[in-house]
Amino acid sequence: MKEGAGLLAEYLLLLFTTAPRRPKALFNVLRGKRTVSTLFAGLTTDSLSLLGSCHGIPLVSFERATEQLVSDGWLKTTQPGYLQLTIAGAAAQQRLKDTLYLPTAWENYQAADVRQFTAASQLALQVVSEAVHQQRRYYPITTDRHIQWQVKQWFRQWQSPTLGQQIQQELTAFLQTQTTELATVFSGSLTGFNFPGQTEQQLATQLDRQPLEIVVMRKDLSCHWVAWLKQQPTTPLAALLRPLLKVTPVSSSAWQTYQDYRASQNLTLVAQRRKLKLSTVREHLLEVAILWPEFPAAELLTPIRIQQLTGLFSENPRIETWRFDTVQAAFPEIDFFWFRLYQIMRCHDAA
Amino acid sequence: MQREAIYQRLKAKYGFDEFRPGQYEVISDLLAGEDVLAVLPTGTGKSLIYQLVGSLLPGLVVVISPLISLMQDQVARLNYQGEKQVAALTSQLDFGTRKSVLRQLPQLKFLFISPEMLKQPRVLAALQQTTISLLVIDEAHCISTWGPDFRPDYLSLGTLKQAIGNPLTLMLTATATAKVRQDIVTQLQVPAAKQVVYSVNRPNIYLAVEQVASEADKRERLQQLVLAVKRPSIVYFSSKRQTDLIAEWLRSTTHLRVAAYHAGLTAENRFKIQQQFMAGELDVICATSAFGMGIDKADIRQVIHYHLPTNLADYVQEIGRAGRDGQPALAVLLYAPGDEQLVRNLNNLTAASPAEIQLDQQRFQQSQVAETDLSLVLQYYWTHGYSVEQVTTQFESRQRAKEAELAQLLTYVQAKTCRRAVLMAYFNEPAPDHTPRCCQLSGEPLPLAQLGLTASKAQSQAATIPWQQILAQLFLQNS
Ligand SMILES: [Zn+2]
Repeated sequence: MKEGAGLLAEYLLLLFTTAPRRPKALFNVLRGKRTVSTLFAGLTTDSLSLLGSCHGIPLVSFERATEQLVSDGWLKTTQPGYLQLTIAGAAAQQRLKDTLYLPTAWENYQAADVRQFTAASQLALQVVSEAVHQQRRYYPITTDRHIQWQVKQWFRQWQSPTLGQQIQQELTAFLQTQTTELATVFSGSLTGFNFPGQTEQQLATQLDRQPLEIVVMRKDLSCHWVAWLKQQPTTPLAALLRPLLKVTPVSSSAWQTYQDYRASQNLTLVAQRRKLKLSTVREHLLEVAILWPEFPAAELLTPIRIQQLTGLFSENPRIETWRFDTVQAAFPEIDFFWFRLYQIMRCHDAA
Repeated sequence: MQREAIYQRLKAKYGFDEFRPGQYEVISDLLAGEDVLAVLPTGTGKSLIYQLVGSLLPGLVVVISPLISLMQDQVARLNYQGEKQVAALTSQLDFGTRKSVLRQLPQLKFLFISPEMLKQPRVLAALQQTTISLLVIDEAHCISTWGPDFRPDYLSLGTLKQAIGNPLTLMLTATATAKVRQDIVTQLQVPAAKQVVYSVNRPNIYLAVEQVASEADKRERLQQLVLAVKRPSIVYFSSKRQTDLIAEWLRSTTHLRVAAYHAGLTAENRFKIQQQFMAGELDVICATSAFGMGIDKADIRQVIHYHLPTNLADYVQEIGRAGRDGQPALAVLLYAPGDEQLVRNLNNLTAASPAEIQLDQQRFQQSQVAETDLSLVLQYYWTHGYSVEQVTTQFESRQRAKEAELAQLLTYVQAKTCRRAVLMAYFNEPAPDHTPRCCQLSGEPLPLAQLGLTASKAQSQAATIPWQQILAQLFLQNS
C-alpha cells in the first residue's frame, strides 16, 4: 500500500474499531452532511471532530479504499452495511498510529469555516507579498470572485508600509508554536512574490512523507492557525478570519429554532412562528442537542420519560445498539424524537 | 475603426507595437461587423483578439470553452492582465455562486462558459437581458461531427446563438481541415463568415519519430532525450497514471526537476506547477494533453510524445507549444510496435454497438438519468429526437473517421520521406522543401548540435530553504 489510494485507506482504517461501524455514516461525517442521522453517527463513533473535514472526498475513492481494507483482511463485515476491525486490522491500526501524521486540531472545523479561511488566507498572503515587492501584475492563486472580493476588502483596510513586516512577525510567532516539519510545510505551501509555492507532492518528496500526509498536515495547520488567531484578535489575519468564525457549531437555522424554543418553551408555537413543520423543529433541536453539550435535554425530556427510558435500557451500556422497537413495545406514547434525544443525552453523559 | 486606433489600443493595453500574424486581420474584420472563423496556429495569442475587441465594443464578451480547467487558466490570465470583471460559469460552481455570477452579469466584461451551462434556461434568460458585444467559440473544431474532438453539446450552439440575439461571432481553432471548417460554419449557421486561415507549419520545430522495440526501451530513450536536449521539455502521455509514474521515475533516476500535470490535480497544485514552469523552476513536465493550453511560455525547447496522440491535428497543436520564441525546438514522437492499440482503445471508449444504442434509448424513454459517459453523449441525440438508426449511422461514421485519422497518423510515424510533407498534406497545404533542419528522415541521428539544442549543464535541485527564510523573502522588502 504505497500509492495515494492506499494511503487514504490507511487513514480510513483509523476510523474503525472492533465494534461494527457504518462506513456510509463515517463518509457523511467526513463530507460534513448535517442530517440528524449523520450527526448522531458522529456522536456515537466519537468522530464529530471530523465533521466536514474532507469536504470534497469522492464516494468512489472512499468505497474503493474501504473495499481494499476488506480485501487486505483488515476490515470485515459482520452485518450488511457495517464494517469492523479484524485482529490483523487492529494491529495495523496501531502501527499506523505510530507512523502516519495524525491531525491534532481538527475539532476547529466546528469553530470556523476552515476551508474558506484557508483559501482566503492563501490569497491574502499572496497579495501582501506581491505588494511588498511592488508587483502589480501576477496570477492570483484563486480565481474565485467571492474570495477575491473578500481579500480586496481586507487588504484595503489593512494596507500600510509595515503590513509585510507585521505579517512576517505574526506568521513567525505562529510557526514557532509548531514543529519544524509543520512550519516547513506551511511556508513551503505559500504563494507569493517570486515564489509559486510547492505542491503536496513536492513537499512529500522533500520531507519523506506521502502526499496525502501533507494534505492532512496542511488541514491541521489551518486548524491550529485558526485556534491561534482566536487568541490574537487584533492582528490583521485575525480580521480576515473574524467573519468566518462560527458562534456555535450548530447551523444557523437550527440555532434560531433553539433560541425560539428557549423563549417560548413550546414546540408547536416555535413551529408556527418559524413557519416550519413540527418534525423540522424537532430535527433542529436534535442537531443542537448533538453539537451543543449544554443543551437542556433533561429539562425537555421531563423526569418521567427519563425514568421510563432509563429503566428500559439499564442492562445495556452500548447506547448505539438501543432499538426504538423496544421503546414502542413498552411505552407506545413515547415517539422517536424522545428516544433519540435520550440517547444523545446519555452519550454526552458518558463522554 | 481606423487602423491607427487599433494599434494605439494594442500599445496602450499590452505595450506591443506589432500584432502577431493573423491577429490584426481578425480584429479589423470583427470591428467591421463580420463574423470570423480564425484558424491560427497555437501561440498566436488568440485571447488577445477577443480581449482587444472586447475593450473597444460596449457589452459583454461571452467565451464558450470546452474545458473547465482551461477556463480557470483564462480567468487567471485576464486577472493578471488587469482585467477584473471576469468570471467563469461552470458546472463545478455551487448553486449560490452561479446565482451571484448571473446577478453580476451586467457589470462583467468577460464571461467564460461551458456549452452545457449555456443551455440552462436561467443562464439563457440572463444573457438575453445583457448586451453581448462578441460571442467567442473557442476550440471551435469540437462542433464538427467530422472532427475527432466532436462534442454533442457544441451542436446546440447554432440554436443558442440565435436565442441570445445572434451576436457578432468569432470562431477560434488552431487546426482545422477544409472539411471541418465547412462543418463549423454550417453548424453555427454563419455561412458568410470570413475565414482567416494561417498555415499550421512551424518551420523552427524539427520533427522526429523514434522507433523503439519495447516499453523498457522507450523509457530509456525518454530519459536520454530529456537529459541530452536543451530544456525545458514537455512529455505528453495519454493516461494520468502513466504521467505520475514516469514523472516519479524520472525524478528519482535523474537530477532533473520534474513534475506531473493532469486533470487529477487540485486547482491549487495545477496553479503551482504552471507557475513553477513559467518561472523556469522545472526542467520537465509530464502531462496529459490538457497541459499547455493556457500556458504562454515561449522557450519550450522540446515536446516528446510518450504515447501516440489521437490524430495529426492534435499532434500539431501539442508540438506547437514548443519554440514559440522562434528559436529551434524539437518534437519527438516515441513509437513502440502496437502503440496504436492504445489509441484504438481510447476511440472504443466512445463507440457503441447498435444494441447498446437501442438499450440507451429505452433508458431515455423510461426517464432514467444518464450516468455513463456514453449515456451522457447519447442523451443529446434522444432529447433532439434522433432515431436509433440515425444515431447508429452517426456513430459508425465517426468510428470510421477516427480509424482514418489513426491511419493518417501512422503514415506520419512510418514515413520514410519528409515528415513535414506528410503533415502539410493532411491540412491540404503545400509542403516546403526538405532541409537538414526540417525533419529526421528514417535512420538519421538527431542533429542536436547543428540545431543548437544540446543540453547545457543541469541546474542542481534547490536545497531546502528554512521556513524563516521563506517568510522573510516573501514579506520583507529587502531580503
Ligand atoms: Zn522534412
